[in-house]
Amino acid sequence: MTAATAHKRSRTDALKPYRLVLAVAALYGVAAINSPERAWGAALVAAKTFASVAPIIIAVFAGLGLVQVFVDKQALARHLGDRAGLPALLIAAAAGTILVGPVFVVFPLLKTMRDHGVSWAIITTALTAWAVKLPMVPLEVTFLGWRFSIARMALTLIASVAMGSLMGRLMREKPEAIMPAADSDTA
Amino acid sequence: MDPTGIVYLAVLGIAYAVYWRKSPAKSRKALGAGAISFAGILPTLIAVFGLVGLFDVFVPPALIERWMGSSSGVLSLVVGTGLGSIAAGPPAAAYPIAATLLKGGASTPAVAAFIVSWVLVGFVSLPMESKVFGVRFAVLRNGLSMLAAALIGLAMGVVL
Repeated sequence: MTAATAHKRSRTDALKPYRLVLAVAALYGVAAINSPERAWGAALVAAKTFASVAPIIIAVFAGLGLVQVFVDKQALARHLGDRAGLPALLIAAAAGTILVGPVFVVFPLLKTMRDHGVSWAIITTALTAWAVKLPMVPLEVTFLGWRFSIARMALTLIASVAMGSLMGRLMREKPEAIMPAADSDTA
Repeated sequence: MDPTGIVYLAVLGIAYAVYWRKSPAKSRKALGAGAISFAGILPTLIAVFGLVGLFDVFVPPALIERWMGSSSGVLSLVVGTGLGSIAAGPPAAAYPIAATLLKGGASTPAVAAFIVSWVLVGFVSLPMESKVFGVRFAVLRNGLSMLAAALIGLAMGVVL
């Protein structure tokens, strides 16, 4: 069946979302067999929720495009390199919040910075502040409310600075002495 | 129709109009980049909203309350953090699920821990993170992030 072919291609990230769609469709199939009217009810809830937030989702992604093109990631990276101490962490936190992009763009970017001598503390702070997801806020507010969104962002920012200084300390010893280098086979 | 969505769209329309006068080529690129991200996420969103519907109708609130309700205390934090760490996906997909959990009786700390660990901790992307930054950094960062998610959840319970 399709499961076998899906498994064979499990490494290709591009297909992942479609596997999820198939899985959910299968769940609906099972639900429809057991209780057609409740399955129909679930589909209705799904459609209504989606329809109510569709304009916001579209607006968020239009904004994401603007940030992606108009925020110069390389310049952002340069700014982080030439400072130290708490001010550096605060700047890293600020930079992290406006950083936009998928894992496979952000990880290598920060790795490049690390290779240019930027401290682990700053890398961790930027990476953690990246979780603030500022461009997604309209969506978060719609589902969870202003108070939730603001509190979560503020606490994540605080955590980013705390994690940064902690990781800066933890990473100070020689990495090779404590743990072997990344096993290249795992990925 | 929801008026907030219209307001956001209007704001973005104005932003694009302003940038378009400044730099039409870059604005077109921005629109393209946004469209590509949106197209990439659309199947996941469809699946997630489908799940939200199923969740809403088929998962009994008692089940959510037992595992993630405020009366479950530490367990609800652990479950929230654990679910968020295992789940991999765009943050946009986390919010509708979180809202469904809240509606079903999950506590605010548990839901906050769920969202924070969703974006901060990636069991699925651990191999990639290890390859880029080294195993030591990846394991330490994800471990600390789980702790941070639980603590942020706790703090959210106090603040809200």
